Amino acid sequence: MNKMMAVAKRELSAYFKSPIAYIVSILTISIFNIFFYMIIDQNKEVALKDVFQVMEFMFIFLVPLLTMGIFAQEKASGTMEFLMTAPLSNTAIVMGKYLGALIFFSSLVAMTFVYYGIVEYFGTPDRMTILTGYLGVWLEGAFFLALGMLTSCWTRNQILAAMTSYVVLFLLYFSINFLKYFSGASEVMIRALGTGSHLENLAAGIITVSDLVYYLSGILFCLFLTRLSIENRLWR
Amino acid sequence: MITSKNITKYFGSFQALKDVSFQINKGEIVGFLGQNGAGKTTLMRILTSYLPASSGSMMIDGQDIIRNSLSIRKKIGYLPETPPLYIDMTVRDYLKFAAEIKDVPRHRLNLQVDKVLEECELAAVKAKTIRTLSKGYKQRVGIAQAIIHEPRLLILDEPTNGLDPIQNLQVRKLIKNLKDERTVILSTHILSEIEQIAKRVLIIRSGQIIVDDDLDVILGKNQKDPSKRLSLEEFFVKCHIKNGDVDE
Repeated sequence: MNKMMAVAKRELSAYFKSPIAYIVSILTISIFNIFFYMIIDQNKEVALKDVFQVMEFMFIFLVPLLTMGIFAQEKASGTMEFLMTAPLSNTAIVMGKYLGALIFFSSLVAMTFVYYGIVEYFGTPDRMTILTGYLGVWLEGAFFLALGMLTSCWTRNQILAAMTSYVVLFLLYFSINFLKYFSGASEVMIRALGTGSHLENLAAGIITVSDLVYYLSGILFCLFLTRLSIENRLWR
Repeated sequence: MITSKNITKYFGSFQALKDVSFQINKGEIVGFLGQNGAGKTTLMRILTSYLPASSGSMMIDGQDIIRNSLSIRKKIGYLPETPPLYIDMTVRDYLKFAAEIKDVPRHRLNLQVDKVLEECELAAVKAKTIRTLSKGYKQRVGIAQAIIHEPRLLILDEPTNGLDPIQNLQVRKLIKNLKDERTVILSTHILSEIEQIAKRVLIIRSGQIIVDDDLDVILGKNQKDPSKRLSLEEFFVKCHIKNGDVDE
């Protein structure tokens, strides 16, 4: 546990020592602020449902920038050999790195709590809906992080890792738009795998077991595959 | 301490190691010698359990290095060919991180870091970011991380590679000071380095051990006739002439 926390701490500090963290933070918050203003101005309602949808869409572009270096950078600089020859389990490496990235991501989401403060100040928002909406956004980001980390461990090239993440995330996000071309089992599968409907429910204040299972199982599956991928060297 | 039995390693169809067998006892200082691509690094990576062998067995203190990987890794300090450094960290933070993941008890963490900083003569640069250090200092930080948990086995892959003569001398002096309490395996191209540090030499050629002997025997130090004594370089070249790698 201590070793996992040490890895998480290292991962988190790496974000703050690289310009990418500051660029992503400033970019994220600036874009969210603009959309928050536009949505509130247009809808004239004290709700954040549409803001959450925008956040979800933006995370597709922003999360790969946070995850692309997690393993690719370690492989390129040779520090992966340092981690893998230390008395550190692969699970501790994967979980530590994920935790570090998740803390950074959570702090980004936390910066948007000011939107809740604003709508609370000017009206009487449905607090439960906002709470479940934030839960949905956080879970979705956590899922994207796990997926991005998985693609980062497949290569030593950060750009390639980010590109692979974009492809997978775009497929998950936009697959729902192509449902009309599918029927039967494939339609059910695409609906289940796509991210679209899951956040929609949570943003509307509806918590369903299937949505929670979708995110949690997605995160666990990606972390499991990441662990398996870094162990892959043992089979070669 | 180390028993290697018929270690073979394939990368695809390329055979990097062929039936490598040797035994290294506790406290020995062993030099791995060989040309580029001979298999030294692969053998070291197998020893650290970073890479698995395709066949054969490698035991350290009677334990299989793959099956007991975590407990074996606690006993090993490893400096890869390129020092594995987080260049955005300060020397002290990096060593503290290394100590944390290498099971140094929490209450001894700072003490151990200070001790290693002293031992590797890094105290003057402890607050500096690794990125700003010279190659010699970086190499010493690499050695410091390898010894931070006081391992009984030290594996150093070309520790003086690319250093200038003064840095070379400093790192060599550091390794000499480290060897007293440990088993040390060292690979290098610099033959004089082996002559100064090692007691035993393993020469690897195309993935096979072609010589495994005491340095004194190799150099013919017991020979009464001085003309029969050789430098390590002469011996190394002779081995490769015999195998057709070099023209006489």
